[in-house]
Amino acid sequence: MISLGLQILRYDRAKYIAMVMAIALASFLIQNQASILVAFLGMSGSQIKDVREANLWIMEPDTECFDQAKPLRDTALQTVRGIPGIDWAVPLIKVDTNARTDDGKLRTVTLLGVDGTNRIGEPRMCIGSASPIYLKGNAIVDPGGWELLFPGTSYTPGRSIRIHDQWLTITGISNASPPFTGLPVLHVSDRTAKELIRGETRTTTFIVGRTSQDPDDLSKYISRATNWRAYSREGFQTQSYTFYEGQGVPMIFYITIAIGLTVGAAFTAQTFIMFIKENARGITMLKVLGVTHGQLAVMLAAQALMVMLLGLSLGTGIAAFVTESITSIPFLRGLYIPWQVVALCSAFMALISAVTAAIGFRHVTQLQPVTVFRS
Amino acid sequence: MTSPDSTAVSCHGIRKSFGTGDTKIDVLRGIQFEAHRGEMTFLVGPSGCGKTTLISVIAGLLDPSEGKVSIFGQQLAKMTSRDQILFRRKNLGFVFQQYNLLPALTAAENAAVPLLAAGVNRSTAVKRSKEILDRLGMASRADNYPRTLSGGQQQRVALARALVHEPRLIICDEPTAALDHKSGESVMELLATSAVHPDRAVVVVTHDNRVFHFADRITHMEDGIITHTEQNPKLQAA
Ligand SMILES: Nc1ncnc2c1ncn2[C@@H]1O[C@H](COP(=O)(O)OP(=O)(O)O)[C@@H](O)[C@H]1O
Ligand SMILES: [Mg+2]
Repeated sequence: MISLGLQILRYDRAKYIAMVMAIALASFLIQNQASILVAFLGMSGSQIKDVREANLWIMEPDTECFDQAKPLRDTALQTVRGIPGIDWAVPLIKVDTNARTDDGKLRTVTLLGVDGTNRIGEPRMCIGSASPIYLKGNAIVDPGGWELLFPGTSYTPGRSIRIHDQWLTITGISNASPPFTGLPVLHVSDRTAKELIRGETRTTTFIVGRTSQDPDDLSKYISRATNWRAYSREGFQTQSYTFYEGQGVPMIFYITIAIGLTVGAAFTAQTFIMFIKENARGITMLKVLGVTHGQLAVMLAAQALMVMLLGLSLGTGIAAFVTESITSIPFLRGLYIPWQVVALCSAFMALISAVTAAIGFRHVTQLQPVTVFRS
Repeated sequence: MTSPDSTAVSCHGIRKSFGTGDTKIDVLRGIQFEAHRGEMTFLVGPSGCGKTTLISVIAGLLDPSEGKVSIFGQQLAKMTSRDQILFRRKNLGFVFQQYNLLPALTAAENAAVPLLAAGVNRSTAVKRSKEILDRLGMASRADNYPRTLSGGQQQRVALARALVHEPRLIICDEPTAALDHKSGESVMELLATSAVHPDRAVVVVTHDNRVFHFADRITHMEDGIITHTEQNPKLQAA
């Protein structure tokens, strides 16, 4: 009966293709939008994740996420170093500032000042070495940042940018994770950073440290005992993620996903009902010939499952292809479709096809066998 | 003479009305009807006299308002709906005026449906249906889709479908009405030669008097009642 059902489905090629396409489109929209959303929000933790050595982050109470950070008083470092359970603690400078490239373009950049003695927070490199940044006037930039500062050119040593009347030479390309803000990420030494932001009274944005205790417990203790905020490395990533989530960033994605789901579901169900109605006489005939409702349910389930599997595979394929293609955009590099997104999308599609099959089945149960005698 | 145990279908006091109040119509008004194994019984009468309604009741597809139907001694009305379906699947074959073939299936697949419904595997079912199609002169058309077949050929596929599971009762409603005389004659010929069997009863509803000579028994119906029955009209004609 299953193969019979599939044969009947395939015979109505137009509706068959239309339903597969509807599921494919919905699957594509959901996977594409959800993975961009996850990747996008995930970027809010990029620079936290990149400081691999630290498992503890301490900041001003007003600082709610990495990108909107207010500097700490300079005496904070000594206090933090005195807290029991802290193995080590170093300052990390983070400031967004305007820069002018050597060919005259104005760009806002994120400047990260790495502690010169411990080199904590030094990024992994794509091209060149990180060492030159500890010499005055040198900086390294992330690949997306290079593209924004010097569009269309490949890396050449010696290009420079100017910040507050001081020139910085780009000596390499880092492998820094793409930031949520989309701004170029420049790594310099803490000394260079302090000179560039001369005049500010506070320079330390974060204190990053390490503990061998449970970092979540210790950070809770610090938050209670001082008036700073403290997080574990993962805790601060989650905090930054939830901060943007709370800012309504996901709304536009949710809307697109909801449209994908609604249109996919409505169109598929509608088309399936039309398919049932057009085949009503044949289905009624099957009932007269002794095909039970149970057998018909299996038939409809097989049809709905077939449409779902084909549509889902096609949609996932397209989503994967599109994701692969758009990772060349610097801002979206590292974009991928998490398996959770595929699983969630499959669950949605399974639900749509189950509901569709159920609605179809309800129509089928209402077909009266006696009508086959009427022309 | 027919012995009592040769009775395949027996109807007693069947009444059926549709609607209520002013719009109520009494379509069957106390029907006594019998069909016997080994015979082809014709049910004839003017259009609208209630023939289709009666065979729908016999097949268990329509509940009578009153009266009792038994098929091979069993009353469908007393069965659960599932048992009715299983009974129909095993014991009944149908041929309609509209051939009622599934357009998505080939001739052989269409004819195999009763076997597939009974859980016979596909290749065995199709093989059996091809054997029947062969007997009905349709071997070369077994893999054709209904839309590529003529009316007479489609009706032969429908006939194969009615025979494939070797049911004990075959019910035909105006099987020749949509066909020209020649095709109608040959379908009736095939029905008489392939369907009639000592253990099987065949009931044919028709108002096509050109095919009356195929009948073993003709039951005349008019305005919801059986008027009279002729036995062995073939012998009488001879
Ligand atoms: N479901 C129904 N509702 C109302 N009237 C019906 C219904 N089915 C049949 N009839 C009426 O019953 C009468 C007999 O119909 P039918 O059994 O099809 O006659 P026949 O097959 O002899 O031409 C007709 O007048 C028809 O309109
Ligand atoms: Mg009729």
